[in-house]
Amino acid sequence: MKNRFYTRKLLLMHRVSRFLILNFSFLILLAGCSGEYIGVPRAEVLSYQTVSTYGGLHALATSYAKKLNDAVAADTLHPGMYAEYGVTLALMGHTGTACRMLNAEVKAFPESRGLVQRIKQRLMPDMLGDTLAALRDTANLAQLASWAYDSLTALKPLPYVAPVIDSTDTAWLNRQTPVDSVKIPIELSANEKRELLEQQQAAEALRKQEIADSIAAAKQAAIDAKKQAKAEREQAKKDKEKLRKEEKKVREQQREEERKQKAAQREEEKRQKEAAREAERKAREAERKAREAEKKNNKK
Amino acid sequence: MKRNAIILLSIVAMLMASCKSEKKLESYSDIYRERPNVIYVAPLNDLSTRRALRTPEDSLYNISLNIAAQQLFLTATDPLVFNGYYVPGPLASAQIAATEWRTGKQLRNDSIGDLKTDLGIDAVLFITIHGWAFTSNSWTVEVEYVLRSTVKGNEWMHVLVKAKKILPTDFKGNPLPLRDDELFALQYGCDLETAQRCRLVETLNKYVLKDLPGGKRSREHRTERYIRSHPEYFNFVIHPDGSVQMQQTEMFTELTEKDE
Repeated sequence: MKNRFYTRKLLLMHRVSRFLILNFSFLILLAGCSGEYIGVPRAEVLSYQTVSTYGGLHALATSYAKKLNDAVAADTLHPGMYAEYGVTLALMGHTGTACRMLNAEVKAFPESRGLVQRIKQRLMPDMLGDTLAALRDTANLAQLASWAYDSLTALKPLPYVAPVIDSTDTAWLNRQTPVDSVKIPIELSANEKRELLEQQQAAEALRKQEIADSIAAAKQAAIDAKKQAKAEREQAKKDKEKLRKEEKKVREQQREEERKQKAAQREEEKRQKEAAREAERKAREAERKAREAEKKNNKK
Repeated sequence: MKRNAIILLSIVAMLMASCKSEKKLESYSDIYRERPNVIYVAPLNDLSTRRALRTPEDSLYNISLNIAAQQLFLTATDPLVFNGYYVPGPLASAQIAATEWRTGKQLRNDSIGDLKTDLGIDAVLFITIHGWAFTSNSWTVEVEYVLRSTVKGNEWMHVLVKAKKILPTDFKGNPLPLRDDELFALQYGCDLETAQRCRLVETLNKYVLKDLPGGKRSREHRTERYIRSHPEYFNFVIHPDGSVQMQQTEMFTELTEKDE
């Protein structure tokens, strides 16, 4: 009866847990089905960040130009679209158009002024003073976007080949875009990341070793100093002891001499007393003899 | 009788716990007080372990993790932009990050008031991937989100999330590929595992950052989102090559024989 009861209980628990797990997975699926942010052509950005080639950059610029054109026409301009397009053009080498796009970003979103200035400082430092003029620029943003699109399509298009991830080929990991030769943190490939990590770890290990060595040397020095201090203390103690013994001996000798002197003095005093007593006794004897002789004379 | 009552009570408690309403992760009172406008997403800190390259599978695994990390960085801007904040795009962010001399740790702990004075950035979002895990039919990722004010330097949001994606299985227990993941793989030109990872981190970003208070441009983006979220207003055409075409239509248009 008991076993039957537990079997039913376990079955029920299993069903409930299964229902909960299914429910949770369904929720996750629902959450994943929401719309995509149209401001960034994500597939192109992802492929460019995975394999940075000039063709990828051109495809990215084309997508940005299309999206920008559509967004301005539909009045759904997202923050950062002009700036992204400008950075792409600057990386391709078209700094004039790139500067105009960055200025358009400042005009559309004035809060981006500092960011645009920093980007210009890095990519086109000779066009830094142009940003403030963007706020006074009277050109229509729609005209600007269509002009940018036309100017890009007028450029010589390069064949874009979608990157195929081949696990055996690792040469592309070290490939660089000719324009964007400066390495930026987000574009580090797996090998570079690992190398950087290994270098950092080696430097960290070296630093730790140096610190450990210095700590050990300091410890040894402290131990030596302690030993020396102990030895000095012991020597000083011995010297002090020796000095004390010598002083004691001297004091004892002095005391002995004093004692001897006192004993000699006492002897002398005793002798003098005895001599005086003897002299007194002799004098008394002589007096007694004289008295006796006088008595005899008187009797006679 | 008593045992039955205990079992019933435990089941009711479990059901109540499963039906509990969703809570906001943070209260965000500081964000309401400071009213930020520009949020900068710092370069991703990926602490997940990579495999040593011994077999081609190892290389593929590492590339898959790299792509998922990039996807996490790219999609982190979406919820912020939809909430009405100005967020620089991925390429602009990379250029700004290249001019930054401080390390990620220093940015997270030291004073970053110069980002406000020089660049006009009100807050910085730091994202850290702590690790990945995989079982036969589920993907798990551990991500830490820190949103830090540049003015006062305090943390507005600090969330550590462990997200799990459970795939449906067949009668033998083998995982079944989802249609969304397959479409993603087709569109982005990657394998199915990478697509599953990318979809997971994308969903995670939306879940974590959706509750942030609206920024200055929240109203216009909200109306735009409202229009786009209603399928009655649009026609979706999914081409065989995986590309999706979106076309605006009028309401209550009846299907013709040709369309059918």
